[in-house]
Amino acid sequence: MLSLTRRQALSAAAAAGAVAVFASRRAAAATPITAVEWGGDVVNAMKQIEAKQDKVQVNWVLHQGGSGAILPKIKATWPQAEYDYVAGWEGSFSGMIKEDWLVPVTVATVPNLADIPQKIIVKNAKGEWMAVPRAVGGIYFAYRKDISPVEIKSIEDLFDPKLKGKICWPGPTQSMMLQVVALALHGGGNERNMDPGWALMKKLAESGNIGRIAVTDTDFTTSLTSGETVGGFYSEPQLTAVAKSFPLVRLTKQQGLPTFLYQSGFAVFKNRPNLQPTLDFINFCISPEMSSLYAEVAGEAPLNVKAKTPDSLKHLAFTPEEFDKYVYVPDFNEVLTQQDAWTKRWENEIAPLL
Amino acid sequence: MERESRKRPTQPGRGSLPLLLPAGTVFMGLFFLPMAGLFLESFRLYVPGSIGSSANAPLTFANYLELLTPAFAGFFFETLRISLLASLVGLLFAFPLAYWMTRGVSPRWRAVGVGFFVTLMFLSVLVRTYALELTFGAAGPLRPLLLSLGISPNGRGYIETLVGAGLLHYIVPMATLTLLGTIQNVDPRLVDAAQALGAPAWKAHLTITLPLCMRGLLAAFLFAFTFSISAFVIPMILGKGRVLFISNLIYNRFSEIADYPSGAAISIVLFAVALAIVYVMSHQVLKRWK
Repeated sequence: MLSLTRRQALSAAAAAGAVAVFASRRAAAATPITAVEWGGDVVNAMKQIEAKQDKVQVNWVLHQGGSGAILPKIKATWPQAEYDYVAGWEGSFSGMIKEDWLVPVTVATVPNLADIPQKIIVKNAKGEWMAVPRAVGGIYFAYRKDISPVEIKSIEDLFDPKLKGKICWPGPTQSMMLQVVALALHGGGNERNMDPGWALMKKLAESGNIGRIAVTDTDFTTSLTSGETVGGFYSEPQLTAVAKSFPLVRLTKQQGLPTFLYQSGFAVFKNRPNLQPTLDFINFCISPEMSSLYAEVAGEAPLNVKAKTPDSLKHLAFTPEEFDKYVYVPDFNEVLTQQDAWTKRWENEIAPLL
Repeated sequence: MERESRKRPTQPGRGSLPLLLPAGTVFMGLFFLPMAGLFLESFRLYVPGSIGSSANAPLTFANYLELLTPAFAGFFFETLRISLLASLVGLLFAFPLAYWMTRGVSPRWRAVGVGFFVTLMFLSVLVRTYALELTFGAAGPLRPLLLSLGISPNGRGYIETLVGAGLLHYIVPMATLTLLGTIQNVDPRLVDAAQALGAPAWKAHLTITLPLCMRGLLAAFLFAFTFSISAFVIPMILGKGRVLFISNLIYNRFSEIADYPSGAAISIVLFAVALAIVYVMSHQVLKRWK
């Protein structure tokens, strides 16, 4: 049995008190901010980054559903903003910019933006930078080598009768409908001429090869890990965990199967009391070291040119020649403007065939 | 004198009106006003890419006109068909169960049964739905068995059946509890008398018990049906994105593409259809079984 003298007990109590006071002072010194992030590995990465600084203390709020689901909640309380920053991508940023909710960012306010390729930064109509990119992810075709009855090498392989009920296909609100853009490209069209894509989409729906229409990230992961389906069209975070346990073929460098890239980043909100600490925290997050940490944990390739890309994300590293050959960069403004029309077209023409 | 005293409680007096005030206020604030807002939103013009409509958006019928397509009618038909089947099957299970609990078990076991069904009602729909998904879905232990029996878990019929099973999880306990009181109010001596006069048991029940329970059955059916047509989580999880209920379309409009006017228009149409069905069903049943 542990026995303490009175002196030892008093010393221990004093030490504990000192630690508690120090900790509370540190917590008190940190500025509280509220941030909206994705769950899983993304928020884990962000929590690790938060732990490496003491300027802000983040109250983490998680996206529920797609990143667009937060927009009506923000609109309901606007002009009173509840979040200092919201993690999102081009799609959700576009809506926020149109509503004039965001604070423009510059190299003066977020110095590490100097190390991010300017081309990828989301801008408003005036050309102001409206969000801080932190990483890039891929949206591409992939399949499980161990259970797929065919080796998928082209769009045409998706129609193989051996794949009946074996394809997991994104629902109309997933992946910005780039899955249909991919089909359109194969049929000679593009995001402005989607008719060839819709024709192929109908053919695929009628083939019976689509076993699951995935409407959440979990749908993709569960369907692939359980073997319910063997392949399909995915975005990067849906495959990160699967790739650790199953032989996965990521078709990011396959002629005829386009790869799309999207950026994830931070949208900083107006009407919040702690703007400067928020910008400082975001600047810290996109520093080379934290970008590397984020890439390692969250599974998205860093955008900071000085950051290290982990080996597990080499499939998203392209030489200029590879980029031209395999990556298709759509006009995102067109893609985002068409989301409403494409979703309705899906409901009218594709859903009845599934 | 006796007749007057019997009539008195059925006539609403002025003194009883204040009793309506709390509930009326709540309904006005939490139901009618939001519904009025939704109704107004459904006529606003939506600009693609924006979040909902702007405050000064012009009014239009476009959000309703775009619903006049065979595909949209198909979604409605699918929602109504699966809901109707699930509700009827649920009543087929619930009625004998409620009858047995009322007539066939002791009051003590009846209390245990009621407690069991009430507990089931407390269990979250989400939990019950995931239980079904984990057992019969993509990663379920019964999947290899289904495949060995030649049943494809990715087949359309299988998915619809699974969605129906998800609805039954709620319908059966709710309908059973609703029907307990109805059956208790039927005098068992009527059936006994019919049988004593030579009617077979099945005929006695069909001509006496069933008609006398018709109002209760209607109430249970309407509870089940309105729950089913507005179901969201069950088709979302068990439908594999291929069986879509109207609620799923409404969610997509509001939460994914931020087209609130279109979502509002679908909501209003669903509300109107549900009201029409409830009215027609109630009217027909009450007319036939006064």
